[in-house]
Amino acid sequence: MTNGDDPDAGRRALEVTRVFAAPRELVFRAWTEPERLKRWWGPEGFTTPFCAVDLREGGVFHYCMRSPEGHDTWGRGVFREIIVPERLVLVTSFADAEGNVVPATYYGLGPDWPLESLMSVTFEELSGATRVAVRLECVPPGPDGDGTRRGWVEILDGLAEYLAKA
Amino acid sequence: MPTDTLDSTFAALADPTRRAILARLSSGEATVTELAEPFEMTLPAVSKHLKVLERAGLVSRGRVAQSRPCRLEAAPLREAADWVESYRRFWDGSFDRLEDYLRDLQEGGDDERG
Repeated sequence: MTNGDDPDAGRRALEVTRVFAAPRELVFRAWTEPERLKRWWGPEGFTTPFCAVDLREGGVFHYCMRSPEGHDTWGRGVFREIIVPERLVLVTSFADAEGNVVPATYYGLGPDWPLESLMSVTFEELSGATRVAVRLECVPPGPDGDGTRRGWVEILDGLAEYLAKA
Repeated sequence: MPTDTLDSTFAALADPTRRAILARLSSGEATVTELAEPFEMTLPAVSKHLKVLERAGLVSRGRVAQSRPCRLEAAPLREAADWVESYRRFWDGSFDRLEDYLRDLQEGGDDERG
């Protein structure tokens, strides 16, 4: 969901948040240490057979997700900002096994998918718990996407039934 | 279809009037006059929004001479919805597992495995 107070929220951004019952330092380590990332990264049913993290600005996060059917999808992110244990900003994309950026079509997805997305992750401390907000934004944003501050996710939801029939 | 469908789709969706027009068209075709009814807006203003939606390939116009009814075109929305859905699926799954993992860690469980 987008955030109504964020001046950038009208661009095509998607935000997901979750509160975890764990101290912030631990959550941050779960996000930045490869052996920990492997334990949770990826959609339901996927495994992460490969994960490397070079935690410095300009450093690369490179990973492989394996689907339940055994199909591998590689991805990478380049760290643009690191504030331990508060914030991570990465430019993310699909990748090949060597870590080169590849378009979504490489994995059979649509030709209009963005080549790169900006992913910001914030870790907010809440007396022993941690709120994690992941914000994803295509780069570059659309030409006049700042005309409003929220809502495109909602309309996509609202049209889901129509799309299922169409 | 434009070369960057996602960009034009999201740009077109970045306006409450245009979203309302699409929502209205999802229940069936409508003329510009019908679309303008719920808004305190002139017909030319509504037409301008329709042109943005047409350029984005989200709306097509019929050939009936005077009324030229507007119709929702779902294909570009599907691509946008797929994009959103794939991220949702990724994060729902990841967050569920991260939750379990953090719980295990704090219960002094199987931190060092795997």
